[in-house]
Amino acid sequence: MEWGIVSRLAKNLFSKPMTVRFPFEAIPIAEGYRGEHHYDIDKCISCGLCAKICPNRVIEMIEAPEAYREKYPKKYAKIDLGKCCFCALCQDICPKGAIKLTKNVFLGTFDRMVSIKYPSFPEEVKSDVAQNST
Amino acid sequence: MIDQMESAAKGSDFDLYFGPAHSGSGNFGVKLKINGEQVVSAVSDPGYLHRGFEKLMEYRVPIQNAVISDRLCVLEALNWNLLHAEAVDELMGIDIPERAKYIRVIVAELSRIQSHIIWFGVLSIGIGFDTGFKLAFGYRDYILDLFEMITGGRVYPTGYICPGGVRRDLPDGAEEKILQVLDKIEEMIDLEELENPVFKARLKGLAVLTLYDAIRLGATGPVIRASGMKTDVRKDEPYEVYDRFDFEIPVRYEGDAYARFLIGVEEMKQSIKIIKQALRDLPDGPVIDKKLKKPRPKGKIPKGEVYVRNEVSRGEGAFYMISDGSGMPYRCKIRGPSFLHMIPVLEYLLKGVQIADVPAVYWSLNICPADLDR
Repeated sequence: MEWGIVSRLAKNLFSKPMTVRFPFEAIPIAEGYRGEHHYDIDKCISCGLCAKICPNRVIEMIEAPEAYREKYPKKYAKIDLGKCCFCALCQDICPKGAIKLTKNVFLGTFDRMVSIKYPSFPEEVKSDVAQNST
Repeated sequence: MIDQMESAAKGSDFDLYFGPAHSGSGNFGVKLKINGEQVVSAVSDPGYLHRGFEKLMEYRVPIQNAVISDRLCVLEALNWNLLHAEAVDELMGIDIPERAKYIRVIVAELSRIQSHIIWFGVLSIGIGFDTGFKLAFGYRDYILDLFEMITGGRVYPTGYICPGGVRRDLPDGAEEKILQVLDKIEEMIDLEELENPVFKARLKGLAVLTLYDAIRLGATGPVIRASGMKTDVRKDEPYEVYDRFDFEIPVRYEGDAYARFLIGVEEMKQSIKIIKQALRDLPDGPVIDKKLKKPRPKGKIPKGEVYVRNEVSRGEGAFYMISDGSGMPYRCKIRGPSFLHMIPVLEYLLKGVQIADVPAVYWSLNICPADLDR
């Protein structure tokens, strides 16, 4: 089998490729993949456990903006994806299931500020605030 | 004119820097003193990948340290996870569930296989055989797919093997998928065993490390096994459930780069054997100790100190941990196998080789700058 690799290479000319043409097709991502966080502000009880367990100190508990403070008086999680190592300890520790890691992996950005996820408020609350202010 | 030619033939001394920004060396440099084409002496230049894990671990609780312990060596994250988890388990006196022990062995051996595949890949590129590199990274991806399914991340399991067991159970159908991937890996091993003339020509008789020198310089793992010592922590001091499996320790006596390469191939076969046995005997039950089911930001580790050693794919890795009774380790010393391979052994072996053989010698030792610098 001195030149076995050569015959193997000749065989490869007629076999299917190992890779896929990425933008047009992709290998499916497995269930339970740890990607971008989904944070449900209504489920959050502001216990702050996620901020305490985070090994990279990514999560910071911040107050809601002035306009929403009536409905959301406590502190909520601000997540800096730039520091995150996607360990899912926040998901495991959360007693109410407010933080979940989704399968979204397309997180590349040129703007550092985009990678900071502020707590997002439900659309109804936003429209309520808008109506009251006018 | 003749004088000039004579002095040119003798060669001139100059310094050559191999790395730290060399595509073949990783974040690690070697200062070579060259005479003509021959290396006269070599001095290792580590420190470019220092991240201070030993200090970071003193400020974090064990479950957070499990996440950090991945990054001790990127290419075999699960082996280091296992090592850290074992150290904490021993300090806390936890007896982990049986199923967790088997899952730990399965994923650690998968990690060892993919680390050895990378070894084959980088060794190929070190000797100018680019096809081997591409083959290796192609086949490695099958194992990464398994890791994605089992741990949730492709390269970093982020503390999948945590103190008390493992963080999640194997998903449905994982056993069959693992067996399918093992078939693919056997295909890869067949390719590695093709007696490639490039490997033979470049590696046979290169950088011979005798058993005496291997012991004197502190080599462990595949490097010392290629020099003729039958030693493996999995057999000598069995941890987890390795004593229940039937496997052999490959040994070769030549001590050259080719012997080291063959040891890597043989070890992959043994790992496949272990995984198949572990999957056959895999018991049912919980995968994590009841008390540690939820990660806790606070908790106590009893006072004490512990030294745990494991066979990681590059050699013998160890954790020395002292606990002062608080929740965080008081001191955590990590022994990376690459430290001794990259400083005394590499410096010794590089003396007298040709410039073109430097990457081949470097990669034949299966080294990783990440676990050297920590």
